[in-house]
Amino acid sequence: MNRKEFMQYSAMGISGLVLFPTNLFAKETKAANKKLFPTSLPFSKKGEWKEFELNIGISEHELAPSMKIHTLAFNGTVPGPEIRVKQGDKVRVKFKNNTELNHTIHWHGIYVPWRMDGVPYVTQMPVMPNQEFIYEFVAEPYGTHFYHCHWGTLLHMQSGMFGSIIIESDDDPIKKAFPYEREYTLVYSAHDVNFVRRELNVMLDRMKERSYLVKNGRFNAERFNLFNNEEELLNSIENGYQPPYLVTRRAPAELPTPNWFTVNGKSYPSTPYLYIKSGEKIRVRLINAGTENHHLHLHGHDFWMVCDDGVPLPQPWQRNTVSLSPGKTYDIIIEGTNRGIWTFHDHDTSRVTNNGLYPGGNLLALVYEDLPMEERMVGEMNNMKMGKGMNMLPKIALDE
Amino acid sequence: MKMNKIVVLLLGLASIAQAQVSPEIELAARGVMSGNVRVNNINTASAVSDFSDSQLLLGFKQKLYNSWRAQMVFGFQFPDAKSNLGQVFYNHVFLKLENQKNVFKIGRSTTQTILGQFPTLRDDDAIQFNYALNPFSNGLNTQDNQYGNVIEYSHIFKQRYWLTIHGENFTNLSAPENFELNAFGGSFQYIVPESQRWNRNVLQRIGVSYNSYSTNRPGYSGYAKSLKNILGTITLNVKPDPVHFIDLKVQGIYNVGFSEIKNIFNYHDYVRTPSFSTFGTIRYLYRKLERPFIQTSVGFGYKSFSEVKGSEQILAIANVFYRLGENFDVGFQYRYISNNGQLENLFGKEQHRFQFTLVYSIDQLFNNQFDNRNSLLNLEHNYIK
Repeated sequence: MNRKEFMQYSAMGISGLVLFPTNLFAKETKAANKKLFPTSLPFSKKGEWKEFELNIGISEHELAPSMKIHTLAFNGTVPGPEIRVKQGDKVRVKFKNNTELNHTIHWHGIYVPWRMDGVPYVTQMPVMPNQEFIYEFVAEPYGTHFYHCHWGTLLHMQSGMFGSIIIESDDDPIKKAFPYEREYTLVYSAHDVNFVRRELNVMLDRMKERSYLVKNGRFNAERFNLFNNEEELLNSIENGYQPPYLVTRRAPAELPTPNWFTVNGKSYPSTPYLYIKSGEKIRVRLINAGTENHHLHLHGHDFWMVCDDGVPLPQPWQRNTVSLSPGKTYDIIIEGTNRGIWTFHDHDTSRVTNNGLYPGGNLLALVYEDLPMEERMVGEMNNMKMGKGMNMLPKIALDE
Repeated sequence: MKMNKIVVLLLGLASIAQAQVSPEIELAARGVMSGNVRVNNINTASAVSDFSDSQLLLGFKQKLYNSWRAQMVFGFQFPDAKSNLGQVFYNHVFLKLENQKNVFKIGRSTTQTILGQFPTLRDDDAIQFNYALNPFSNGLNTQDNQYGNVIEYSHIFKQRYWLTIHGENFTNLSAPENFELNAFGGSFQYIVPESQRWNRNVLQRIGVSYNSYSTNRPGYSGYAKSLKNILGTITLNVKPDPVHFIDLKVQGIYNVGFSEIKNIFNYHDYVRTPSFSTFGTIRYLYRKLERPFIQTSVGFGYKSFSEVKGSEQILAIANVFYRLGENFDVGFQYRYISNNGQLENLFGKEQHRFQFTLVYSIDQLFNNQFDNRNSLLNLEHNYIK
């Protein structure tokens, strides 16, 4: 390697890893990109009810090229399909458990009847293996919400059990204030893939035993760590029962430390693009279904914060960074005011990594479709190596 | 999105990309302390503290390119007193390469002289009955039969069928500096993975194995000089219940032997004369809070010698273990062995042995980063390379 080549490699190293399709603006790329957003779940009309079907199974899922993990996937996808209804709709969701684990569905932010809230042993019994549970509620309130499993939540959510539920209004206040045609849903999550793998295996192992015992009518409170009341628990402890959180039964806490960060189930370089045109407004629905805070920053723009947890803000304000804490949803409006290709990423840069290696994670890009041809990147590695294509590259201002 | 349609600029990251990939680290240890009381006419003393078979294993494992994994294992154990093996015996020093369907192992490790494990306090408690014995050994220690320098390849069909071919360099006391292969063999087994033990199959394991030792046999040449034996085993889940679990395990070893050996004057004759040995155990395991709590088993062994009339060996063994806490057991084991006919001169007439024991055993994985072949996810929900 001569000095010139060395300098070129070093320059690339400073900017990090950049990955774009050479045909970023091609129809095929845009069509493929659509698949990186949650698909809308079809429904059938049963009288006054909109009836949806969700099932849960264990799937193989690719986070990034060549990086596959086992996930709990609603209808085979991570995130699960998007449920999109009108405000006031009567919604029925038939949920079928096709795994050997227990599950429920919690409707995060929805005014469901309390028996439909999906909290095991509080509002309902868990949906056990091969069982079906029907959730019914009226779609309220308006806005961006999500659903997730509420059984073994720490494990099941980062294993993939989450999806968006959007309640639309015919009289949408956001659309009135910021007329838009296109919108995007971005569901954020974080995964300790080693924790997911280990714990899923452990839980599957346990459930093989427990299911067998339950089938044979041999439920045992101590074995299942499930007591009717505190007195029963204390009596068991008195008689020698050791709760599973004690160090006699469990090594000191190994809480999950996420090492993969996803948007719509994908980590960079598999993350989606947000397409926009100059002068256009797009609505982006941000949902944090994971355990980590994400400080999302858009380059080159100030976007409008318009909804907080689905609730329209009476006075939208402009920001270029939004902190999306776990369980939170925000809707933002991006105005096409600065033509280019702009990154939109977590400014806690530990979350734009894959397995600790930057760049990765929830790094994605806002792409102007009307970017002039001369500004579009068409260079290839070999061109750069030969010193031919560097000037053709757009400046991708990564932060490290 | 196809990779050939994207541009990847992955440069300047050399200092990170070339960093040492830290392996998975497996630490396994077993401490067995027993007080032994012997009532016998066999010339072996009682012991207030017998820590033989205690061992430490350290393994390192990582993913390779193209879906293979590599493992390096070091381990040592404390052998029996008077074993002539010194204070410490390095029983495991090997490298293993494996993917979903293939396993290749080379180095010092366990030999294919037993199929599976029996629920005895120490692995060698019934060694004359449940191991194919090393004909190159003088019988002073049990490690000669259990471990060797091995080269072994296994192919796994449909997750449960194991076809293995192997060659060994067993310790040869008459040629201790010779490290060439002096045995080879093969086995075919059906084994239900441990993680699927609650799927309630009655058949847990069944298999046959063939071993051939390159012995010298006066008056014979070529393959006829070799000592051959055949092993067969079956393990049945008599009651595959998660709380009250009962299994039955039986293994038989037919030592084809040398029919011209009509007397057993020494250990050399003992391992070469034709014999048939069988050993079986029935085990009851009570699991409380999804963990082993009490285990008890009884076992019987019988060994006969077709060319040495009136000579036979009988073994009875029983034990019980009670779990005091995670990884820690207190136990008791009784063993009776009777040697009849010409074996009486070699091994003594009979022995009753009582052992009171404490056992601490751990098997921990650190820096876990990938799944193994037999996890439930990989077995039942597509194997991830």
